[in-house]
Amino acid sequence: MVQAINDALRHEMRRDDRVVILGEDVGRAGGAFRVTQGLWDEFGDARVIDTPLSEGGIVGTAIGMALYGLLPVPEIQFADFIYSAFDQIVSELAKLRWRSGGEYPAKVVVRTPVGGGIRGGVYHSQSPESLFIHTAGLKVVCPSNPCDAKGLLLASLRDPDPVLFLEPKRIYRAARGEVPEGEFTVPLGKAAVVREGQDVTILAWGAMLHEAVAAADDAGKEGVSCEVVDLRTLWPVDVETIVASVKKTGRVVVVHEAPKTCGFGAELVALVNEKAFVHLEAPPARVCGFDTPFPYSLEMDYLPLARRILPAVVGVARF
Amino acid sequence: MQATGSEPMPLVGALQDDGTADPAHAAALSDELAVALYEQMVLSRELDDRLVALQREGRIAQHASSAGEEAAIVGAAAGMLDEDWLFLGPREAAAALWRGTPLLALGHQAFGSAEDAGKGRSSPGSRFRKSARIASSSPLVGTQIPHAVGVAWAARLRGKDVAALVFFGDGATSTGDFHTGLNFAGVTRAPVVAFCRNNGWATSMPASRQTSSAGLAVKALAYGLEGVCVDGSDIVAVLSVVRGARARASSGLGATLVEALTTPLTSLTQAESEGTRSTRDPIVRMRAYLEARSLWTGQREQALRGEVRADVDRALNAAERADKPAPRSLFDDVYEQLPWNLREQRETLSSGTEP
Repeated sequence: MVQAINDALRHEMRRDDRVVILGEDVGRAGGAFRVTQGLWDEFGDARVIDTPLSEGGIVGTAIGMALYGLLPVPEIQFADFIYSAFDQIVSELAKLRWRSGGEYPAKVVVRTPVGGGIRGGVYHSQSPESLFIHTAGLKVVCPSNPCDAKGLLLASLRDPDPVLFLEPKRIYRAARGEVPEGEFTVPLGKAAVVREGQDVTILAWGAMLHEAVAAADDAGKEGVSCEVVDLRTLWPVDVETIVASVKKTGRVVVVHEAPKTCGFGAELVALVNEKAFVHLEAPPARVCGFDTPFPYSLEMDYLPLARRILPAVVGVARF
Repeated sequence: MQATGSEPMPLVGALQDDGTADPAHAAALSDELAVALYEQMVLSRELDDRLVALQREGRIAQHASSAGEEAAIVGAAAGMLDEDWLFLGPREAAAALWRGTPLLALGHQAFGSAEDAGKGRSSPGSRFRKSARIASSSPLVGTQIPHAVGVAWAARLRGKDVAALVFFGDGATSTGDFHTGLNFAGVTRAPVVAFCRNNGWATSMPASRQTSSAGLAVKALAYGLEGVCVDGSDIVAVLSVVRGARARASSGLGATLVEALTTPLTSLTQAESEGTRSTRDPIVRMRAYLEARSLWTGQREQALRGEVRADVDRALNAAERADKPAPRSLFDDVYEQLPWNLREQRETLSSGTEP
């Protein structure tokens, strides 16, 4: 997936000279996860820029660059560090188009690695997506495979609105697959049904999509047929695909790494209740991170892995 | 003498009480510009007086007065070039006027009318004007500083001689965005003029509770920037200092932090009632300069006062009568295109029934 994201950035930087990358160690070093490796060599330090260590400064100056007419792609080294840029993202970036009556849209794509599973501990493992989904004016994207990573990133760069592009770092190198060369986009706002099934819909994204698929395989062995939906774009979420699937199966399980309470799963369940209540055969279930900080030693207990998803799926199926 | 940080920067001033001015600062000031600056300050004061009254009457929700600080605001705006960007705080209506924003547009902003460029979405004081390169700033303190640095930095990366002027008050120097913005400016050599109006107070807090440094301009030293402290009620000095900072930015030497010491009119009024002459009122001081150079008469003063009163009246009355935005417009511009949830919610608003 690292290679696919790098490919997308390189492709767009060649095509559109407004695109500039800025962040901590993104230049000569190629980024903490080597996502921007080689870009500094090709595009130079006027387009791949190492900045002082301040997320608020990175996003704040990126907003100014966007106002001027560039297309900045700041990298926040870990999503856990994004809170020091929270004010700039939530109060400024998200609201600029609206508060200026459409005259000053600030087009910025903020890339950041999210999630656990790399022994990152409390401050290198978090999944803060719901904070940004809750903020009007932002789009939030999270790919689960290299092909989508490239297509969604190119679509994000060409979308007129600011995008928070979340990269599940657990599968940066684990997720493999064919990636189309050159021009290739995956539309924002469209989920993918990655596994068709009849009995239970599982909604997931990012690294946990793979856990959901594994749980679906296991459930199949117990006679439960699962439909797995990869949301891909978290906001605006593809409510049509979700509702169509739940109307078919009558049952839904939502999986995410972030803490359960007020996580995006709560919104998804509410949407299902509003739009498909009469089709439901069982109460929706959520399999999520716990309402604790993210642990170091116990991260595999914290994460909603397949072994935790399976009983929820079977329970919902047999309700 | 280069300041060391342990003592305040020397105060730059030009105007004397007798209306003369230090030629080091006044030589480059044309008579025509001097008159224009004065007229802008008078217009700004009139607008400010009216907005203060409207706020007290509850006809607009809020207003941050700039009375007494006009020289800092107009002088700084006038020190930049037309192609430069401005970032305004809520007290900088005068800079918007200087850049040609019509009074009517400022009225629409204050009353939140449908014709406001910001479509009535922001509270009074959040002014922008794209055609004049005045960016949209929020009323949050300090957040616009990194934006100004970003604009200037981008221009520099693109090889354009375009700079940015960002206004903020003394309270903003306590924020993280002030620090990070100026630090980025230092590292990137972005052509920025960071202009701090130090009126001694951030709401209820005296400047001594914001910082223990020797003034604010000295903070520039730590970022590798130029720092200047100027008499903010002396428009001749402010203009000269900002022109110098702009030229410095243009030459690739980077940003300047300008600290303008100002005295809000509320303090001036108090001083007057205590019997001390209001030598700090920037309008009084500039008028003395014009009179000393025979550029101004009582007759012109009377004509100007009548004119600005009528212009402000006309604009604010028209703005107050203008229609408010249509409820449906609430959902526009959150995104370029309405996503499904906003289409649904807009329908809810117009039908009056939740889905």
